[in-house]
Amino acid sequence: MILFAALALGADRDPVILQSPGNPLVSFRFVLHIGSALDPPGKEGLAALTALMLSQGGTNELSLTEVMEALYPMAADFWSQPDKEVTTFVGRAHRDHLEPYYAVFRGRLQKPRFDPQDFERNKNDLLNYLTKSLPSADDEDLGKKSLEWELYAGHPYRHPVQGTVGGVESITLDDVKTFYRDNYTIENLQIGIAGDLPEAFADRVVEDFRKSLPSRNASAPTLPTPPTGKGLEVTVVEKSTAEATAISLGFPLEITRSDEDFYPLLVANTYLGDHRTFNGVLMNELRAKRGLNYGDYSYIEAFHQDGGSTFALPNVPRRQQSFSIWIRPVAPENAHFALRGAIFYLRRLVDQGMTAEEFEAMREYLTSYSKLWVQSLDRRLGYQIDSSFYGTNFYIDEIEKRLAAMTVDDVNRAVKKHLDRWDFRVAMVASNAEELASAVGENRKSKVTYQTSGASEEVLAEDREIEILALPIDSVKVVPVAESFRK
Amino acid sequence: MMHALAASSQGREVFPYPIDVKDFGNGLKLVGVRFDSPGLAAYYSVVRVGSRHEVEKGRTGFAHFFEHMMFRGTESYPEDEYSEVLRAMGADSNAYTSVDRTVYHILASSRSLPKIVEIESDRFQNLKYSKQQFEKEAGAVLGEYNKSAANPFMGLYEKLQDAAYDVHPYKHMTIGFLEDIRAMPTMYDYSLEFFRRFYRPEYVTLLVVGDYDWEELSALVERHYRDWKRGGNVVDIPREPPQSAPRDASVQWPAPTLPLLAIAYKAPAFSTEIVDMPGLDVLSQVHFGETSPIYQSLVIEKQWVDFINAGATDQADPPLFTILTRVREPEKLADVRNAILDEVERIAREFPDEKKLEATKSHMKYEFLLRTDTANSVANTMAHYLSLTNNPSTVNEVYALYDRVSAADVRALATKYFRPENRTSVTLTQAPGVGGQE
Repeated sequence: MILFAALALGADRDPVILQSPGNPLVSFRFVLHIGSALDPPGKEGLAALTALMLSQGGTNELSLTEVMEALYPMAADFWSQPDKEVTTFVGRAHRDHLEPYYAVFRGRLQKPRFDPQDFERNKNDLLNYLTKSLPSADDEDLGKKSLEWELYAGHPYRHPVQGTVGGVESITLDDVKTFYRDNYTIENLQIGIAGDLPEAFADRVVEDFRKSLPSRNASAPTLPTPPTGKGLEVTVVEKSTAEATAISLGFPLEITRSDEDFYPLLVANTYLGDHRTFNGVLMNELRAKRGLNYGDYSYIEAFHQDGGSTFALPNVPRRQQSFSIWIRPVAPENAHFALRGAIFYLRRLVDQGMTAEEFEAMREYLTSYSKLWVQSLDRRLGYQIDSSFYGTNFYIDEIEKRLAAMTVDDVNRAVKKHLDRWDFRVAMVASNAEELASAVGENRKSKVTYQTSGASEEVLAEDREIEILALPIDSVKVVPVAESFRK
Repeated sequence: MMHALAASSQGREVFPYPIDVKDFGNGLKLVGVRFDSPGLAAYYSVVRVGSRHEVEKGRTGFAHFFEHMMFRGTESYPEDEYSEVLRAMGADSNAYTSVDRTVYHILASSRSLPKIVEIESDRFQNLKYSKQQFEKEAGAVLGEYNKSAANPFMGLYEKLQDAAYDVHPYKHMTIGFLEDIRAMPTMYDYSLEFFRRFYRPEYVTLLVVGDYDWEELSALVERHYRDWKRGGNVVDIPREPPQSAPRDASVQWPAPTLPLLAIAYKAPAFSTEIVDMPGLDVLSQVHFGETSPIYQSLVIEKQWVDFINAGATDQADPPLFTILTRVREPEKLADVRNAILDEVERIAREFPDEKKLEATKSHMKYEFLLRTDTANSVANTMAHYLSLTNNPSTVNEVYALYDRVSAADVRALATKYFRPENRTSVTLTQAPGVGGQE
């Protein structure tokens, strides 16, 4: 049994308290409405580094070492999850340790130590990520972040949450202290707690934070409208060691979970590119039938996979979202074909729509599957908090309700309205960058190369269409990986 | 809403959920774990076959590849229909392969259990796919290799396993050697043989966790799996001879990277009979966890490395106890290595602090409780132990052993296993001349 309680604090930042009698675990999700979109120009990475100073630093009373010693016997967690709009501090402990755990938790958020040694370490971690890991160790991540960079030119969503090389290099400990003082306010905080909580515990926590964090009325800065384009704007990130080519493409969307059209689009997107299942057209066409790569998916909002599961991390809400397709690395000779293939199947959805039967199958699936997204109390808490960000009912209930009233025409109309676009930004990470760029730029025929000969006549016939699909290319550029995310 | 049945942290046994077991005479076992997840059940098929069984030349990576083929359908449920059934349930379904096992898992409504038993028993007994399906899936597996190929940790582990083992199949990674993956499309006939050998009841345990009716479930399983015949296949897995001298290997990485360092020792196979394996688990926390002297020295104070950890995974044959770290400054690599080797000598000489030992046991117990909070996570944990011993009591036996590990055990184990002749070290550094950002 779960009891919901809301304690008034203000607007959409009311605390979310989930009482779950008998549950041995307690979850804390404290969502600060502070994200990388607030990074000052030239100090990109400041929000993330500030969060690290709280989650990987000491408190006024305890050094980081003492914090670690205190949490060790409890095996309790505390980490920060920074994103563009919010930064979430997640804590998990056993009920046996609620009070001693909370004593450390509050200290880390309310009285961070800002130790210079912790600062050096955390800053270096961010720089190593930006200069060594991101450009080098994970081409898929590089492709996705390059896509955001191109999607959001002149927009605060542009740079990676972790910052830019120049931005992080220029951040001082004083910058962090000032950023904390100005932004870690009671107005920016949404408290979430779930578990078998002792009586009045939640009230005490809310009161504690209300007294300890400063009050300062500040509204979130307005976001500019992301630029639209005339056709495909292609960026090939040149990386000499890339054995295969990672591809991400997309365009900004005008809707989020707050909008009616989001829900029919959710059904259409599940049909097109459900994350890591064989329900999606892209997965079946590009992977199962053609063996081009490991997976092909699409999204209508920011999606970060939760660990090894197939589900999305909660608490990555954004006021603006984008549509994107993720084509996992393909053999270099098939990169151009895979790009065309993904667009081909998206266009088929736009032009032909879903059939009533396909719609019913996806509605049935999503209605049940979405309930698995909130298996654990902790994830349920996260989704409940996100629902208040978007001003909706509990998202999972909202999906059920909206889907029950939906028709296939609603879906096909929403697809036409929001996905019938050609102004994709495309990011490809490739070793043969110049060659790929000119092939794409000139709309050259892209014959698919199969590792083995067999493919059905139906597939081969579609291949012939895909190979010559004319893409309205607006621009193509090659960017050396060493120049990515510099500033 | 689901949660643990008031998992008491005070009880003697760490795994507090009631367990049901049934054997079906053909080698197949069904294990049920009653967990308070109203209306929801996890259905796991645990196959005790992994890359450890790949003893034939040119067949590395096959257990993992075969896992992919298990989704390609039967006569009754061709690929599309199998997917359609799972989709209609709104199920979460996938599989993974490791050195010792292949695990197929479905999470869905308890109401769907009859259908799940039907389709799972069907594919385990009647799998059928075309040569064309087989060849296309080989492309997907190559894609799976490619998606991780840029990760220097993969390069490090490949070299470490290769250097540490001479004859045991642990010499290769579960994904397999690239040349073998490239040759997979030609192995259709072998794949049929692989199915005949290993997808047999004596290699499989079914595990159901969550909300189920035991009588109904076991009758259902009996009906659908009772005609499944034993295969009688036994693989002769080569024993790795004892190592006689320290080994060193290095990797020159062709892209920008911080140096990685692995110092590994041959460790004991999984066992609940002797204290060695659980003792080394405790040791890894005491001496290499976040509050250990070396972590505090190298990560927090000197900041020479950005993390350090150590441990051995539970494996059927002797695994490696690996100390792994990433060095912030390339010129500190030798200092870091020396600091680790000095620490290894120290812990073979000195008893660990009793308070730290107690805190560690508490840490391990609560870490377990925090990890097992859903039907799926409980199933995942239970599947791990079933793959090793086929005995659902193992989880409690292991944690009981953790409780009994003494300071003397920890020191004695360090002396026994952390000998130079038992060691393999691998460094991975950026190749000279690699461009990149400073």
